[in-house]
Amino acid sequence: MSVPGWVLHKPFLTGVSIGVPWFAAVVLTGYRRHVRIVGCIAAFTSIVGSALLLADAPNGESLYQALMLLFSCLTFGATLLLPRRDCTREAIAGILFLLGSTLLAYSTGNLLVLLSAWILSIVPFLWTGWLRARAWRPLVGLLFSSLALALAVGLISTSTGVISIDKLKGQSPGGVPAFALLLVAVVFRKGICPAHSWVADAAETGPALPTALLLNGHFGALLVAKLIVPLFPHTDSLFPVLSYLAIVTALYVAIRALAENSPRRLLAFLALSQSACILSGLESRTAEGIAGAIVHWFVVAISTVGLFGILRLLEVRFGENLTASKHFGLAEHAPRLAVSFVIFGLTLVGLPGTLGFCSQDLLIHGALTSHRLIGLLLPIATAMNAVSFFRLFTRLFLGKRRTGFTVMADALPRERWILAAGVLFVIFGGLFPNAVVIRRSSEADLMQEAIHTGLDLNPIGKVERPPGKLPISATR
Amino acid sequence: MSLSQAILIFVVLAPGVVFVVFALLWLLGWTPGERFLSWITGLTFAACTFGVAALVWTIASGSTVTVTFGNWFAVGDYHFPLVLMTDRLSLPFLALAVVLSGLIAQFSATYLHREPGFLRFFLLLHLFAFGSLLAFAAGSFDLLAAGWEVVGITSVLLIGFFQLRPAPVENALRVFGIYRACDIGLFVGVFAMHHWAGTTSFDRGFPTLTGAQAVLVCLLLLLAAAGKAAQIPFSGWLPRAMEGPTPSSAIFYGAISIHAGAYLLLRAQPLLARSALASALVILIGLGTAIHGTIVGRASADAKTSLAYATLTQVGVVFIEIGLGWKWLAVAHIMGNATVRTMQFLRAPSMLHDYHQMHSAIGGEVSPTGKQIEELLPERVQLWLYRWAFDRGHLDTILDRWVIDPLLQASSYLAKHDRVGMTWTTIRSGHAAPISLHGPAKQGDD
Repeated sequence: MSVPGWVLHKPFLTGVSIGVPWFAAVVLTGYRRHVRIVGCIAAFTSIVGSALLLADAPNGESLYQALMLLFSCLTFGATLLLPRRDCTREAIAGILFLLGSTLLAYSTGNLLVLLSAWILSIVPFLWTGWLRARAWRPLVGLLFSSLALALAVGLISTSTGVISIDKLKGQSPGGVPAFALLLVAVVFRKGICPAHSWVADAAETGPALPTALLLNGHFGALLVAKLIVPLFPHTDSLFPVLSYLAIVTALYVAIRALAENSPRRLLAFLALSQSACILSGLESRTAEGIAGAIVHWFVVAISTVGLFGILRLLEVRFGENLTASKHFGLAEHAPRLAVSFVIFGLTLVGLPGTLGFCSQDLLIHGALTSHRLIGLLLPIATAMNAVSFFRLFTRLFLGKRRTGFTVMADALPRERWILAAGVLFVIFGGLFPNAVVIRRSSEADLMQEAIHTGLDLNPIGKVERPPGKLPISATR
Repeated sequence: MSLSQAILIFVVLAPGVVFVVFALLWLLGWTPGERFLSWITGLTFAACTFGVAALVWTIASGSTVTVTFGNWFAVGDYHFPLVLMTDRLSLPFLALAVVLSGLIAQFSATYLHREPGFLRFFLLLHLFAFGSLLAFAAGSFDLLAAGWEVVGITSVLLIGFFQLRPAPVENALRVFGIYRACDIGLFVGVFAMHHWAGTTSFDRGFPTLTGAQAVLVCLLLLLAAAGKAAQIPFSGWLPRAMEGPTPSSAIFYGAISIHAGAYLLLRAQPLLARSALASALVILIGLGTAIHGTIVGRASADAKTSLAYATLTQVGVVFIEIGLGWKWLAVAHIMGNATVRTMQFLRAPSMLHDYHQMHSAIGGEVSPTGKQIEELLPERVQLWLYRWAFDRGHLDTILDRWVIDPLLQASSYLAKHDRVGMTWTTIRSGHAAPISLHGPAKQGDD
């Protein structure tokens, strides 16, 4: 039996990847049973759709398809990892809605659709009341970023009359005001200093896994890769501002994390500090910096979701009053969770043998090449993050054994398999990094080329090169 | 691929493969028995020892064994070369790592019998052996840094081996912090080599750098080496590291890990030879550490700490030899120091037994060794020196006061600003309460 051609058609696959999670989210508003199964099926459909899109994409032009696959896998994993207590239909519906919105943002080439996806990704958090009204900063941060993006899109579309990203490339549409508004959107959405506080507030007051997914959509970095780099290649004097802000954020938040005792806030700071490095890598204008940033995007997303997932499991089993100010000795009760936690954490801070080492290595080289002095702050921030993470690990898992826990289960089979999948990815990715890096390397070459020459990029990274001109990697 | 190349690959990878296989099996729910584990470990290290012995034949003829796997990863002009290499410098270190790891494994099979962390210890021992072999057999500073990091993390995890006691855990955190801080020097040094010379490989000659560049790279590498080798001002972590089980103290702080810093400097010797400033600094740090080690060691109350400071003194002397350019003397010194200290560390738990046995053998008390050199000093100076030594040269206090406390204060200050506008619920959770990275002051205080 042959598969009809339209099934493998790109718009159809994209539509399925985005539409099925949204449809499942709507179904779950009226259907109360088997919510985890429904969520898994919807997320798995997105995985299959994204995987087919990725397989179909030519080498060097598959960044957003890879990101779609990554986010679908993260959502699938989060759905499985969600403790039973949290596995309500609202939670699953919200996660699936977030999945659909994020995939829409990754796949679109239209400014208005990107703006809609940006706003829609916040909707579950407003609709389900995940961000408590008392913690006002997440709401303000997210709304400010949306407002800034809406103004930027408005300015660009009114000044040029075009809403296709493809047709706007290299034109610096809207000039410096539009560029500045886009930067503001990135700063607020990504949690760049001085707008960093909302990330920790969201992580502390919101639900752990959905918040981790929201943060790991990395919409700020997406905006840089999708709009700022291709649309404004000639803003040489302004573009480094973003990098400086990112590097300062990485260091500021790393210092801030040193005295943090709330595990959720601490993890949020670590994730923020490490993900700020992504922006600095994207801006570094070196192939290794950009490739490092893209690989680091994967590393931060997988590690952070894993860490937040494990922390939530610990909270459910051992109480929600966990703190990094005293020892809990949980490794005695949950050794496999402890091992997974330490592997994800050390991946995040770049331990050799994990994919994090390669991404950090590339990122730091890229950052140091483009900004020699300020780039030095990046390894310092990473070292501080490593200390903060290790402190959290030792306080939660090592030390004197606490008694009085009613439930002392290690990872359940459902959790064990999904954690093992994540651990295997980061370890095998670290042992054989070329499997991941080579494809990202071609995309990095193209982005670097676009920055340096102002060549046109299409929404999924395709370069319209002059005849006979090859990407940098091909000319070597 | 020649036989020598295959042997080199086997020697480096074998402990790593054993680690990966046993770790995966454990994650899937299977825990091997003690006997089986120690048998496999013995077999692995015995095979590696024969492998290294075979390599000696090749190296003795004056050749170098090099295995090039291409690039681990490459982007743009930047590449991470995967080159294993053994020459007359690295071979003694490979032999030391393999033989001592095997001996420690056999010793630990009895020493840690029925210890709850038996499997964990052996897994970390294999990982450590892999990391150190990778660092010693690396053909580029990139790969050396990867092995270096693996050695660091296993060292820290073994310091916290007795995880139910807070003191080892807190001391592990302290050591981890110092390692990470000093490793910045290695990473930035490697970057500088990439940037200026275009490569960090030394399998076909050393990266070419100008005078000023060589000085800067040497200073950065010296930072990393001083941290790993517990040279001043970073010596404070060494007594804290004695919290780990005795076999791990023996191999890490008596033999391999403590000498890794010296190996890094020996590897960078061609650069060091061109930099008078860096060489002078190496000598100065070594001299300071040797004096510090010998004075503090005399005031140490427990056997392992005394041994640690004795090792430190010798490593300080090794640094002086490296700074003076006496490369092969330094290598011979390292070999001798490592083997003797390993033996002493392993006998440390039985010291009283040995002492009584010696008394019985000679039929009475051992006569005092005679006058101590410090007795020549005025009494006030002796007293001052004792207080100085008792606080281990105030190095930890200085580090706390000038580095850690300001950082924590800065962090608390930022936390205070972050609290602006926060709701009472998050403040109530006490997220910004003051914390301590200092841990228990010294071994034995808890």
